[in-house]
Amino acid sequence: MTIEALRPLLARVVALAVIVVAIAVIFQILAPAYLSERNILSILKQMTVNGIVAIGLTFVIVLNRFDLSLAGVASFCAMTLGFLLAVTNSLLLSVIGCIAMGAFCGAISGMMVGRLRLPDVVTTIAIGSIAYGMGFVYSGGKHFSQNFFSTGILDINDSKLLSIPMPVVIMLGVAVLAYLILHQSRYGQSFYAVGENPTSARLSGVPVRLYLGLGFVICGALVGASMMLNVAAVGAAYVNTGNRILLPSYTAVYLGAALFGTPTILGSLAGAFLMAMLLNGFNILSVPFYYSDAIVSFILILAIAIFSPQTLTWLSRSLRLTGGRSRSTAETRG
Amino acid sequence: MSDLTLSPRQSRKRPGDQLLTFGLPLVLALIVIVFGVISPAFVSAENIASTVRSSSIAGLMFLGLTWVFAVGEIDVSFVAVAALANMIIAGLISGGTSWELACLVGFLAGSFIGVVNGVLVAYLRLPSLVTTIAVGGIATALAASIGEGYSISIPEAKHLAFITETRFGPIPLLAPICALAFLIAWYVQEKLTLGHYIYAIAENREAVVEAGVPVRRIIFLLFVLAAVCASFAGLLLTLELTSGQPSIAASFFLDGLTAVLLGGTMLKLGKPNVLGTLVSVLVLSALVRGGALLGWQDSVFQIIKGALLVAGVTVIIWSNVERD
Repeated sequence: MTIEALRPLLARVVALAVIVVAIAVIFQILAPAYLSERNILSILKQMTVNGIVAIGLTFVIVLNRFDLSLAGVASFCAMTLGFLLAVTNSLLLSVIGCIAMGAFCGAISGMMVGRLRLPDVVTTIAIGSIAYGMGFVYSGGKHFSQNFFSTGILDINDSKLLSIPMPVVIMLGVAVLAYLILHQSRYGQSFYAVGENPTSARLSGVPVRLYLGLGFVICGALVGASMMLNVAAVGAAYVNTGNRILLPSYTAVYLGAALFGTPTILGSLAGAFLMAMLLNGFNILSVPFYYSDAIVSFILILAIAIFSPQTLTWLSRSLRLTGGRSRSTAETRG
Repeated sequence: MSDLTLSPRQSRKRPGDQLLTFGLPLVLALIVIVFGVISPAFVSAENIASTVRSSSIAGLMFLGLTWVFAVGEIDVSFVAVAALANMIIAGLISGGTSWELACLVGFLAGSFIGVVNGVLVAYLRLPSLVTTIAVGGIATALAASIGEGYSISIPEAKHLAFITETRFGPIPLLAPICALAFLIAWYVQEKLTLGHYIYAIAENREAVVEAGVPVRRIIFLLFVLAAVCASFAGLLLTLELTSGQPSIAASFFLDGLTAVLLGGTMLKLGKPNVLGTLVSVLVLSALVRGGALLGWQDSVFQIIKGALLVAGVTVIIWSNVERD
């Protein structure tokens, strides 16, 4: 990374720090337990599921594609995990199966979008719907909680490494790996190249279809991984486990993109952390869930508005009407 | 970004064109015949009336959505709009407001969500998918907050109930209303310049802007229209179910996308159009009714609809690539 690139990065990190401090101070005043060590750890633990999904989603967003199958695939993965735990009684096998199922769903989406050139939005909605339906196949819709004690899946949620909760350690591990791939390797450069301009990427020798497929596979696999943490935290696998995952993960990625100027792993993590800070705070203040949903949605709109270059030009045009008129006459005339 | 259609590559007429145009009505006929033979209850007047009534509500909900897709944008907030209208009406009535006033307020509030979508997408040029996800999220949250997360039961509307309950033999009153709306929409789409603009914008937005067409205003109006339709459907659902439920329209989400895109396989060379939407709604309703009579689970429908959606999109893309 060059020095010119570093300077705005520093400004952005400072901006992020200011936002974090502001949120922390406000909630600390309203609820004195907010900044206790226990609650900070619980915020970190709370962000893990959305954080891991957001990391996976970042790859797809960097490719300039959308994955709306998250909720359906997440539910399917959770049910797969529960089913495998009940049948095989082996934690390792079940977790591998859960992640593999997520990767498989991602591979199907990726193949349809990359190879068959189907539109991403509609395709992934369809795949998500099919995956959600498949979640019912194992048990007809009943939840799984057999063998949860004996296999030790609950320990994933409860154990600690150097006094850091295990889910946080896992999330950080995933984040470091994703960071190395996306920001420290030429493969990561290719992801961004495909997202910016597939044609020029192909002409530069990037296997575009392969990267499109890979993005969806990574996203699917990480949805599976996040469900491992979710099922461990909840203590059971339900068919609607993934229902509340789509909005927060998109908000995390776009918030990160708004903060850092482009979708990045660090940005998505920061976005997930800010969201967890807010949701945890609202939770402590016992704000009902539907209001926090509205706030999350509102933040999403703000984030995409800031992220969108058109907004800035539109605003500056509106503020300085004379300056921008000549260029925008065609569009404003009607 | 996420285009619904691909840029044309080669021009070539295909022999399967006729099949493509009439494929969907054939599928509908096939479904009706197969289910009619397997389960005679499927063709009873009672079942036909109830199938047609639910199709009419769904059809009205997806009418405006069709053109949002046709113009190359996407709107995923329509279920939230229907739910918001539904909950506002139910909330007002349980608070003692008259049905007429409650319906008017609920309808207008739902339509207002379309104004928000339209401003954000058409004028601020935010990406429509994420914008409508977020606006839909806010509408859903508002809808849930009215009943504090629970549903609201309301007494039946005595003098308005005829709208959903009247039927002439197997034909409910809603059917001609829905048919009329689609007829008008078809006329607008085929005969008026607005219809031509919609498809022209999808082809080449910049060129249409250069030609002096008020593209932003058209897109804004299409988002408003989509919300007006969804809001009206939410009103009808309130009348039919006499309750307010925050997730009342959730099952319509997949149906709406499937209907619009599957409908695109019919008539207009792979582009979403109102007649195609109507036929797909009938296909989906017949499928769901027939399947329910045979005891299929909801999860089976999820899988079937998802598969139909993929099939519809594939046909659209392939027909566009091969044809133009």
